[in-house]
Amino acid sequence: MLQKVLSIASVGLKGIEIEVEVNVAEKGFPGFGIVGLASKAVEEAKERVKTAIINSDIEFPNAKVTINLAPADLPKDGSCYDLPISVGILASIGELILPKEKAYFYGELSLDGSLRHTRGVFLLALLAREEGIKKIYVPRMSANEASVVDGVEVYPIDNLKNLIKHLSREKIIEPLKKVETEEILGDIVPEFDFSEILGQEQAKRALEIAAAGGHNVFMMGPPGSGKTMLSRAMSGILPNLTEKESLEVTKIYSITGNIPPGGSLIRQRPFRAPHHTTSQVGLIGGGSNPHPGEVSLAHRGVLFLDEFPEFGRNSLEALRQPLEDGLVNISRAAGSVTFPAQFMLIAAANPCPCGYLGDPKKECKCSTFQILNYRKKLSGPIMDRIDLHLTVPAVNVNHLMIGKNEVNNNEKSETIKKRVIAARKIQSERFKNLSHIQSNSDMKNSHLKEFANLTGGANLILKQAVNKFNLSARVYFRLIKVARTIADLENSSEIKENHIAEALQYRVKSDE
Amino acid sequence: MNNKIQNFKKGREGEEIAREFLIKKGFSLIESNYSNKLGEIDLIMSDKDWLVFVEVKLKIGDRFGTPEEMINKNKLSRIKRIAEGFLVLEPQIANKFKKYRIDAICIVLNENKKLQRINYYDNVQL
Repeated sequence: MLQKVLSIASVGLKGIEIEVEVNVAEKGFPGFGIVGLASKAVEEAKERVKTAIINSDIEFPNAKVTINLAPADLPKDGSCYDLPISVGILASIGELILPKEKAYFYGELSLDGSLRHTRGVFLLALLAREEGIKKIYVPRMSANEASVVDGVEVYPIDNLKNLIKHLSREKIIEPLKKVETEEILGDIVPEFDFSEILGQEQAKRALEIAAAGGHNVFMMGPPGSGKTMLSRAMSGILPNLTEKESLEVTKIYSITGNIPPGGSLIRQRPFRAPHHTTSQVGLIGGGSNPHPGEVSLAHRGVLFLDEFPEFGRNSLEALRQPLEDGLVNISRAAGSVTFPAQFMLIAAANPCPCGYLGDPKKECKCSTFQILNYRKKLSGPIMDRIDLHLTVPAVNVNHLMIGKNEVNNNEKSETIKKRVIAARKIQSERFKNLSHIQSNSDMKNSHLKEFANLTGGANLILKQAVNKFNLSARVYFRLIKVARTIADLENSSEIKENHIAEALQYRVKSDE
Repeated sequence: MNNKIQNFKKGREGEEIAREFLIKKGFSLIESNYSNKLGEIDLIMSDKDWLVFVEVKLKIGDRFGTPEEMINKNKLSRIKRIAEGFLVLEPQIANKFKKYRIDAICIVLNENKKLQRINYYDNVQL
């Protein structure tokens, strides 16, 4: 008997409907074969499906079982076809009644017949809505991901036995209640607070600007001065993801299997801190079956590259396209895919290999050649794309301990976050008609004419600075964007002289 | 060593059952336990204008899986190679036939050595 069950495959961030055709033939030598460009993981489904069916107290047919995953020319990967294959086999031997209306089946089987957490369920729900499929059957552990998509009934399945009972109407499984996204998008307590960081006022101010406008930051300073700590505290002052952003991020996280079992929407801005040995493919994305990299996992969030010059040169230069366009285009023999990568880059580096160049107390032991080699990694094109350049000096030991009677006067992350949120609000009001722009840094140069609103004085300072410091055209536009954010933080509709001056100060300093 | 003799006896027993089964089906025996340097084929029979190479698998009880599981791609390609050897080495028999195929007979005996089931598969392809 031939049975057809629907499921999906993912290509990049897109889902494609897959028809799983199952034929159980009484004639012919018994066997179990899967065709349709199945990868090793799909090929191994044979053993899982067979054992899971036997362990669900159903006799596996002693017949020729042939599975075809159509369309046959699209490579299929992952363990998600276990459920559709076993449902097809069970329907073929009459142990299960397939639902009359179209439905998607998706999930990995465990040997005991229960269903395991499977990645990509969120994408499944999105495709179901697009294709007008009303019902999806997914593992219970992953069902929450799908519950935020409206118009689709999500049936959480524990094991094969329960599914059989449900489909024969013996014991109905209730579809998951739809969860309002706003409910999930609540407040998150930051793990790290800005008030815990002593000194470094300038850096804090710069990070506030960066958070408000989504600008890239480069920090240079000796070891132990707090670069890493500052960056980590950053997630505490970033506003939560908006509903739209959250859906974008969740999609990427769902496909890469980064959503924990039982989790649903990602609501906190991603903070990714890959180690400097990360390969180019790991950072940018790629592989023969293209897979998103760290830049895409940091989409709408922060990509923190500590020890920036230690990264491979190839990896760093590959950051140029995502930094400029907010997306990565990956072309492979199998086809080309585009992943979003609108992230905020925070890079931290020491001034030289030993770390103490320019330190007032400790002597630098590096040779000129070493220093030159180290700085060579910080190439012009990359540094050009970073808006805020900071020097983070070592902190005086006397400031480090706060006595029992002294009060910590440092601003709390919460206070800073409020200002950031206010500035972001102004921006979302400004860009409400431009769907792909979320913050000032996303603006294209053509938008600046409309939104910059420079005063005459500000314009003059800018022109003089560009001439004097020999700044590139890109830097010119980026300066205006940063100044726009500073003005937004002050709730000023015009960009005034002091805003431009502050923006300039972050640009010129480390270029000495 | 003892075990090996036992297995050998078991195999011969299976071939006996298979041969009777196939002769009843209208096959005629050409050679049993044909062997050349590539290995052994349990039964070589003729079915009308077909020359049939038969692989016999016998299992006692189902504690160690079904006999069908024991026939895989490797086994099949080995039989194919031996059969090709037969066709070359025995031209006077081979020339009488134009069509060749490989069949399999799977026999399961219960604990008391009584026949539990016998399955016949023609033209096995994996």
